[in-house]
Amino acid sequence: MSTTFVAAVASSSILSGTSLLYATLGELVGERAGIVNLGLEGVMLIGAAVGFAATSIAGNPYFGVAAAALAGSATNLLLGYVVIARQANQLAAGLSLMFFGLGASALIGQPFVGAIVPALPRLGVPGLGAFDVLVWLALPTALFLWFLIFRTRWGLALRAVGEDPAAAFATGRRPGSIQYQALALGGLLAGTGGAHLSVALAMTWDEGMTAGRGFIAIALVIFSKWNPLWAVAGALIFGGAEALQLQLQARGTDLSPFLMTMIPYLLTLLVLGMWGWNRQSAAPAALGRSFFGVE
Amino acid sequence: MRRLRLLVLACLLLLAGTPAIAESALTVGAIYVGSVNDYGYNRAMKDGLNVMRAAIPGITLLEAENVPETAEAERVMEGMIQQGARLIFATSFGHQQFAFNLAKKHPDVVFEHAGGWMQAPNFGNFFAATQVAWYPMGVAAGKMTKTNTLGFVAGVPIGYIIGDVNAFALGARSVNPQAQIRVVVTGSWSDKAKEAAAAGALIDQGADVVTMHVDSPVTVLQTAETRGAYSIGFNSIEARRLAPNGWLTGLGFAWGPFMTATAKSVIAGNFKPAMVREGLGEGMVVVAPFGSAVPADVQTLVSAAADRIAKGYNPFTGPITDSTGTLRIKDGEAWGGDKMGNFDWYVAGVVGKAK
Repeated sequence: MSTTFVAAVASSSILSGTSLLYATLGELVGERAGIVNLGLEGVMLIGAAVGFAATSIAGNPYFGVAAAALAGSATNLLLGYVVIARQANQLAAGLSLMFFGLGASALIGQPFVGAIVPALPRLGVPGLGAFDVLVWLALPTALFLWFLIFRTRWGLALRAVGEDPAAAFATGRRPGSIQYQALALGGLLAGTGGAHLSVALAMTWDEGMTAGRGFIAIALVIFSKWNPLWAVAGALIFGGAEALQLQLQARGTDLSPFLMTMIPYLLTLLVLGMWGWNRQSAAPAALGRSFFGVE
Repeated sequence: MRRLRLLVLACLLLLAGTPAIAESALTVGAIYVGSVNDYGYNRAMKDGLNVMRAAIPGITLLEAENVPETAEAERVMEGMIQQGARLIFATSFGHQQFAFNLAKKHPDVVFEHAGGWMQAPNFGNFFAATQVAWYPMGVAAGKMTKTNTLGFVAGVPIGYIIGDVNAFALGARSVNPQAQIRVVVTGSWSDKAKEAAAAGALIDQGADVVTMHVDSPVTVLQTAETRGAYSIGFNSIEARRLAPNGWLTGLGFAWGPFMTATAKSVIAGNFKPAMVREGLGEGMVVVAPFGSAVPADVQTLVSAAADRIAKGYNPFTGPITDSTGTLRIKDGEAWGGDKMGNFDWYVAGVVGKAK
């Protein structure tokens, strides 16, 4: 393999992996606070639709990304109300949110189908290539999130709520409030991930355009063992698998195209299988459970 | 739905005010699988119906977008029939069975389905012979490439799509024997993020002309434009607005004349079902205007190639070998329209595997 081929695969892995990374980080923050959001796909879709619509209205892609982040946050808070204030089952509420996002994004995006918008501009850095600002910010965001979760008092509270909300409550923290904050932050990230698809990559809106990436991101949270730095690796592996199979096809290969399109998913299964499950450092103990308060 | 109701209301008012037209009026229903603003397949269908509406005074058009290829389609069409539709265009391949079910139930309603094969006294189908029309597109690409590498983003590798790629390759190599055609399959008719990555991959691997057969050309055209590559469009010729610098030419569907003729036959009561497959010659497929990048001599060559196809030239005339060197179409043999679905191999010059 020539160096240009490797460079092409690397750069398109980063492009494909970026929206996944934002979505994975968004899910990860919420799960650290004990809330599993199966509606991530819907949140991404709302981000993609709002991002494209706002870019089209304002003529500015940065404005579009900001609007997408806020919309993602608002969608997550909706889930928050249902599962925190109303203590609904998280899995059922998450799935409903996914379908809500599918419909709401279709409604928001419909008038803007076919609109021609300015894409997020690519900013070149000598020696590294030219990427849009969301790509450049992806790794710093993951590092920041790692710092936030593992090195700040807020992160400590977040993890405490995710492990044992009753104990966190006993030490004077308010689990509900922290969970809302985590969901708001997670929504910002997931909405941004959706916007990267519509505003930077595809430059269009299409119903259901996330095509399952929200669910892959949920799997990547498990792969990452709820650590933002491992999430970077996960997003790169999946993005890389997609990039590799497309670049291999473009280069010409003897493999069947039907097999090639399966590669990213096969790889996800393989990695999850090899990685295995480790109770010690794995899921937040109170993940998916409602906190009903203490007597 | 509100738009539908408004349309019906407007038409009722129109009919009440102009009784002379009421006699010839016909209500036509149309269902689209996507949005009509996609610069692609659905837009072309919508443009065709607009031509029909303009050509026949007093016609009423009921439309529904984003109709899935499920039993939902049957309900939408049933609703249109309840509102008076006597001619229905089911425009996506997967709408076929649902339209056919209704055709049996409503013998007084005529159905036209795009791309299928089913037949009944009130059920016809139509589609364009796109494969050979790709030949002049190949001529344009083969003349314009500097890297001798052409990229093709294909949605799902069914026989007809492989036929498109093959005719494109034969056209390109008729003017540039060095030309190589690289194909990337995305595995879906519409996965925009993957189409962006696929077009990017083709350009990374040296392609300087990129084309596609997916539902909407929007993403591939814009990706090529951003990366400074030439592009060739497909489905709707209006897509050229998306790539003002890199646009070479493209193929578009022109359904208008066929739809107009069908509506007229339904009004006259002499509708005959048929399996209509027309191409460049009949004007069901048209070559898009050239982009500013295409010099006059190349325009002449492409137009001449399109003209030859229109007059009946079949590029799938043997001897034709596949990409592994095996003889597939013997000397003196030719593959006509009925065999276009049979391709499971690429012609020489295409890099990639068909199955």
